[in-house]
Amino acid sequence: MCIKRVLIIDDEETIQTVVQFGIKMAAGWEVLTAGSGAQGIQTAQSEKPDVILLDVMMPEMDGIATFKALQSHAETEQIPVILLTAKAQTAEKRQFNDLGASGVITKPFNSLNLPEQIARILHWKCKYENLAGRR
Amino acid sequence: MKILLVEDDDVFTKVLTKSLATHHYVVDTVKDGEMGWTYGSTFEYDLMVLDIMLPKLDGISLCRRFRAEGYVTPILLLTAQDTRTVKVQGLDAGADDYIVKPFDQVELIARLRALLRRGSNNPLPLLTWGDLLLNSSTCEVSYNGQPLSLTTKEYELLELLLRDSQSVFSTEELIDRLWSSEEFPSDATVRSHIRRVRQKLSAVGAPQDFITTLHGRGYYLKAMATMATTATMATMATMATTGSILAPRHSTPSSQMLPSLPTGGKTLPGGVSSGIPSDVSSYISPSVSSKISSSVISPLQLRQQYVSFLNETWATTQPKSLDQILVLLQTVRYLQCDRLTPLQQAEAQQIAHKLVGTLGIFGLTKTTHLARQIEYWLGGQEPLEPKHAPLMKALVVALQQEIQNTIQIELSQLPDQSLPLLLLVSSDPEFNQSLLTVATHCGIQIETVFSPESVAKWEGGQPHAIVFRLPADLTNAEAAHSPIAAHLLDMLQTFAHRYPELPILVIGDRGGLSDRLEVLRRGGKLFLEAPMPPEQVMATIVNLLKGEELPPKVMVVDDDREWLRTLPTLLKPWGFKVTTLDEPQHFWTVLKAVTPDALVLDVNMPQINGLELCQILRSDPGWRRLPVLFLSALTDAATQHQAFAVGADDYLCKPMMGVELANRILSRLHRVRAWAT
Repeated sequence: MCIKRVLIIDDEETIQTVVQFGIKMAAGWEVLTAGSGAQGIQTAQSEKPDVILLDVMMPEMDGIATFKALQSHAETEQIPVILLTAKAQTAEKRQFNDLGASGVITKPFNSLNLPEQIARILHWKCKYENLAGRR
Repeated sequence: MKILLVEDDDVFTKVLTKSLATHHYVVDTVKDGEMGWTYGSTFEYDLMVLDIMLPKLDGISLCRRFRAEGYVTPILLLTAQDTRTVKVQGLDAGADDYIVKPFDQVELIARLRALLRRGSNNPLPLLTWGDLLLNSSTCEVSYNGQPLSLTTKEYELLELLLRDSQSVFSTEELIDRLWSSEEFPSDATVRSHIRRVRQKLSAVGAPQDFITTLHGRGYYLKAMATMATTATMATMATMATTGSILAPRHSTPSSQMLPSLPTGGKTLPGGVSSGIPSDVSSYISPSVSSKISSSVISPLQLRQQYVSFLNETWATTQPKSLDQILVLLQTVRYLQCDRLTPLQQAEAQQIAHKLVGTLGIFGLTKTTHLARQIEYWLGGQEPLEPKHAPLMKALVVALQQEIQNTIQIELSQLPDQSLPLLLLVSSDPEFNQSLLTVATHCGIQIETVFSPESVAKWEGGQPHAIVFRLPADLTNAEAAHSPIAAHLLDMLQTFAHRYPELPILVIGDRGGLSDRLEVLRRGGKLFLEAPMPPEQVMATIVNLLKGEELPPKVMVVDDDREWLRTLPTLLKPWGFKVTTLDEPQHFWTVLKAVTPDALVLDVNMPQINGLELCQILRSDPGWRRLPVLFLSALTDAATQHQAFAVGADDYLCKPMMGVELANRILSRLHRVRAWAT
């Protein structure tokens, strides 16, 4: 068994809730939530998740600013960050890549698929066990 | 001990959770009855506390629902009404106890303790094991009279092992039982807790293996032959009921997963579901069953649970979204009379953006699209002027209507990138429908195309497999030259050309040599002869799709139970999923339930011998491809000949090394796969 800890930073509470439930159901991973960039940074520092899912467009501190802040802290710079964005343009995707984000997941997504998408992006070998019917 | 608290009063919840935490209970809290059902049926709890007055589904109905679905978890009801009717209703609904609000916290905790004890063998709050004594009412632990200072988690761990001292707990179970569903510690965390408890125990003189590791299974309290008896009543009680028998806690083999079986899964207590008829469980041997994870959920059930969760969430999201629409409508009004400030516009854009995200997660494609258009206009890429007001209004009103009209979130509308996609080229509606039903059960998506035009325009995702259903008259020699036939065969060729690496399965009514040759030349890789039950078509596809991803399923039939018991371990290094069966009379049921990738048969067995089983198997067209290996103590040539004559693919003699058996199985599997793709 391979339990990962995921932090999702998204200002929409519904998305936090659904992602948390979906990931937990699909793979049994732990999901931490944060509703703003500032809160997310704090949680990332204290909890050291295995990956951060970061919404690009948030009020006040947006995803890019949050990402840069995460990169500038020694405790969090190693944590891979996957950006969540609505249908990204190619140019935008390149920009995210240049920034050093590990990957991009396009909204809307099905939360049940997230563990697989995350594992693929981060080359996690661990077989999260789900849709094939094994848990 | 893990408790589910279903209570909508925040203040009350806070107080209660705190007090439960000080008594070392792990608590999950949800606020309404429907959510209570979702959590209670998804996660495992030792006890549930339900308030009677709850939004959506009241506590009594919820309690009744749990009982009706077979949940035996103790339930305590909280009621504000001290009337006989309510109490009677509650108890009749299956509650074990109730307590009237306002109540004394101490009394509630005591009642919870009493309920939790009821499920265990020990009627007293004292739990003992050898020289270890745990007093659950004071939370004190001592070994041989010396007090132990434990952290909350360590205490809970020890309490769990003591309470169920006849059980072996796997790491997974310990996580389930000791951590709330919000937390998901790693295996290593569990191990380190175990290690620390062991250290503390051995520091006060307990043996190193007081908590014993059963390799590959989990942890249990070692049964001590010379268990020092203390004079407490509790010890006597415990001694009387705890032998040295260690039973695997979960003997629910019926939870073995059968995604390919469309027999309508039934939900077992604990949310564990299975497509196997429950009686199958009784004859899959326990040594294997205990290895099978106890919480297997089929892809469909997983998705259904997810959808019901989405529906729960939608119930609160819908009104919220409609409120946001009102703000947008106000924005449109401002725009209309040219009074929209940049700040208001920015705020409205933020709202539209949030709606895009929220609606998207429910899979509401059309609705999301509308919200996205509104977001675009508010985003100011083009200056927003009063002349845009009618357009904006139309968009916002349409969005409002879409949201209002969304009563139910459907499974089918959810985006799903991960499910394998099967492209079905067929104009036979009956066949399509039957295949679709089975596919949904297997977690496979189907896209159907039926005309050359739609094939040419096919822009869906990359399929994982293609099925061609040739019309009935096509394989008739004359009709084969008809324009329709030519079209279809061209389509086949187009697809084979476009996706050279994909398995293409062709189903035709007649499978003569010329037909088969034609299909093969056009790029078809597998040919199935109609009529073929959809389950079998799907099983073939699942086999093709799973390739290297899924562990191959090996079914072994042998009357030697000892040998069966060692098999899973023996074959483990090769990643096989082994199902053993020691009663040949249940062969067919188990075979169909397991749908193995390879079958290993013993020759001599009571009632039905292996040769006969093989004959039965081969007499069914669907099972002719299944690799069959005989493994027997009989080494004579005559038996071997006979085995091959009835359809064996290989014959091996006992005793046999694990590595050799595995290699032979692998080579058979490889053969089948090489052929299929």
